[in-house]
Amino acid sequence: MSTRDDKGWFAIREPLSQSKQQILVLLSFLGPILTWCIVSYTPFIWHPDIRLDISAQRQGVSTVFTAGDHLTKSYYQEFEQFIRDENVLILEQQSGKAEAPKNLSKVRRDNIKILRQLTPIATKQGWLPKDEKIPDEDLIALWEAIATKPGGFEKLNALTDENITVIENNWNLLNRHYQETGSLKMVSVPLQKLVPQGVPVNPVYLPAPHEVLQKGWYEFTKKPENDKPSMWSRLRHSVRIVFTGFLLSCLVGVPLGILCGTYDFFSKLFEPFIDFFRYLPAPSFSTLLVAIFLAHDAPKIALVFVGTFFQLVLVVSKTTTLLDKSLLEAALTLGAKPKSLMTRVIVPGILPNLYNDLRILLGWSWTWLVIAELIGVKSGLTEFIETQGRWRNFDSVFPVIFTIGFIGFFTDQILAQLRGLFFPWTGEKVSFILRKWIDFYHWLTGGRVNVTNNQHLQGSQ
Amino acid sequence: MTSIDLPDYKRQSSDVASRFEELKNRPVKLEVKNLQKIFQSKQGPVQALKDINFKTHRREFLSVIGPSGCGKSTLIRILAGLEIPTSGDVLLEGTAVKGPGPDRGMVFQGYTLFPWLTVKKNVMFGLTIAGNSETKAESEAMQWIELVGLKKFADSYPSQLSGGMKQRVAIARALANQPRVLLMDEPFGALDAQTRAHMQSYLLEIWRNIDITIIFITHDLDEAVYLSDRVLVLKANPGEVQEMIEVPVARPRDPDQFLEPEFLATKRHLEHLIHPPSKQQKSPMPITRMTEVGDNVE
Repeated sequence: MSTRDDKGWFAIREPLSQSKQQILVLLSFLGPILTWCIVSYTPFIWHPDIRLDISAQRQGVSTVFTAGDHLTKSYYQEFEQFIRDENVLILEQQSGKAEAPKNLSKVRRDNIKILRQLTPIATKQGWLPKDEKIPDEDLIALWEAIATKPGGFEKLNALTDENITVIENNWNLLNRHYQETGSLKMVSVPLQKLVPQGVPVNPVYLPAPHEVLQKGWYEFTKKPENDKPSMWSRLRHSVRIVFTGFLLSCLVGVPLGILCGTYDFFSKLFEPFIDFFRYLPAPSFSTLLVAIFLAHDAPKIALVFVGTFFQLVLVVSKTTTLLDKSLLEAALTLGAKPKSLMTRVIVPGILPNLYNDLRILLGWSWTWLVIAELIGVKSGLTEFIETQGRWRNFDSVFPVIFTIGFIGFFTDQILAQLRGLFFPWTGEKVSFILRKWIDFYHWLTGGRVNVTNNQHLQGSQ
Repeated sequence: MTSIDLPDYKRQSSDVASRFEELKNRPVKLEVKNLQKIFQSKQGPVQALKDINFKTHRREFLSVIGPSGCGKSTLIRILAGLEIPTSGDVLLEGTAVKGPGPDRGMVFQGYTLFPWLTVKKNVMFGLTIAGNSETKAESEAMQWIELVGLKKFADSYPSQLSGGMKQRVAIARALANQPRVLLMDEPFGALDAQTRAHMQSYLLEIWRNIDITIIFITHDLDEAVYLSDRVLVLKANPGEVQEMIEVPVARPRDPDQFLEPEFLATKRHLEHLIHPPSKQQKSPMPITRMTEVGDNVE
């Protein structure tokens, strides 16, 4: 495996071998994903919350938890204990040891609620159909089925023994009442409450990977409903804002930057103010921009513009000044007039670095997207993130956040790949896959273009 | 210590003497008159060049040498028009030079090829600026590229070439404009010894075959003697003409001449001008012996 010239993994300022690099690149993505999976799927590592499968309503407490809610472990234990204590009291009331409640209609209402607490876990386990309004009769039948255990309900792993006992006790009571009155409803003796049941989970802000994937797939494939835009049209909208803002910023900023980098006149005239202005936080202009550009997309695009423009001018100016001055002098001794230096030397000379600058600034403009979409009328992906986040549907939020990341990352990667193609003279590698694509394209169109990787020609002096 | 008896560097063989006679009768290409350059620095004005006067004749090869800081580069930049002299004139065929122009080609130490252009396009640069059509510029450029032996690399980019090849392209690019004077600012300074020797022969070959006057800046005495008809020696602080030397080595030149008495005599004289022996002994470095007594290498 290791050869004599293998420098190991930690050689100072030495590049790693190709295979080692690939392993690490893979790890840099796999690491976080694996951590996420481990944290999500191994309950003993973290899981500080309990997600309720069966909830209960406490006597005299107005806060209502429903199945699906997250409780901290310590509160959950308290919650369980309260219900158990209430059940002890209810048993005493049933047997007459304690005074029964006077308000019979409230007792009946509570009893119906207790019956219904079983619905979420029943639908989750498939004992009852999903997505339908379940009539109370079916629920009562389910209680009967569980209590009397006909075939199929022998193994009730989903329910704790404690709750099965509660169900059996309650069913006996109901059945006795039925024998007496011929009706299953309207029992006026308080029923025992189902003890809260739940599974340990991570906090609501960290949904498991599969939940995020499922939800992402669902959000991106579902038909738009009512007047809500589909996820794809939200995405198009967001991309349009970023790119329009960025392009406008380039349209003004690039020429201005080149002028500043070329003529000290423009540099001294514009740069000091721009240098000051870029420290004014762009989001603080949001209300101002809305006042100027009114609603819709204009203020949003303006915000991306304000956020990138000032940096862009300074960066482009810097890049322009970095062009080797002796190239300009050489051009002058070859007969170039100062006016033609701009088109014949400066612009072609800085293009590859300018390209890189713009790549970085495009990434920069993506960071302004979220703030831009929040100002005025909320729109695009951000509106979705905002709304879902408020409802704490983080499993819907994550796919959208990742989508923004993917678009930014892949645009940048593609642009980086294309650099070698646009500027063959920089000697940058055109990746194998890209070269094959170009060959294929030229084979299709019948043309021929040489995309050679730079090789240094030595020897022949 | 042995020493070879060298002739006086001023003694010229009859062939060489008649060659210089003929050279002086040729028309003057470039004349420098009372040139001065004063830079304004934070410590006050610094005189870089003072009272520079010299003439070069048609198809002469003139080298300029001097200790570092003598203003060689400033001088050639003024000749190229890239710096403006504080006073004095540069006359090209009798006309005062104002700013850079294609009549004076320049080759820089740092190659200064346009990296985004292929070898061919680099050489075509000046030709297209002069208003030649693309096809005419291309065919002319190809001739110059062939002259410097880089036909195979016409479509390569500068980044694909070695240092020597780059400098050949730079020479072809400067010559393609058919300048009257070729200014070379330490053009081979960045090359390794072997490549440099190749390039010197190359340059002589080119110079022999075309109508070009060369002003060549260098700090390499061998190079100056080997290439030049005359050597202009500058001294530092301020940059003044110390001596204009006529090289007594016969032409055509050939690397074997490096050991000829005339060559060595001229070189020794230059050595004395640039590094005066008295100054060298003034400040010996204080070095403490760090080996055992008796552990000697000499």
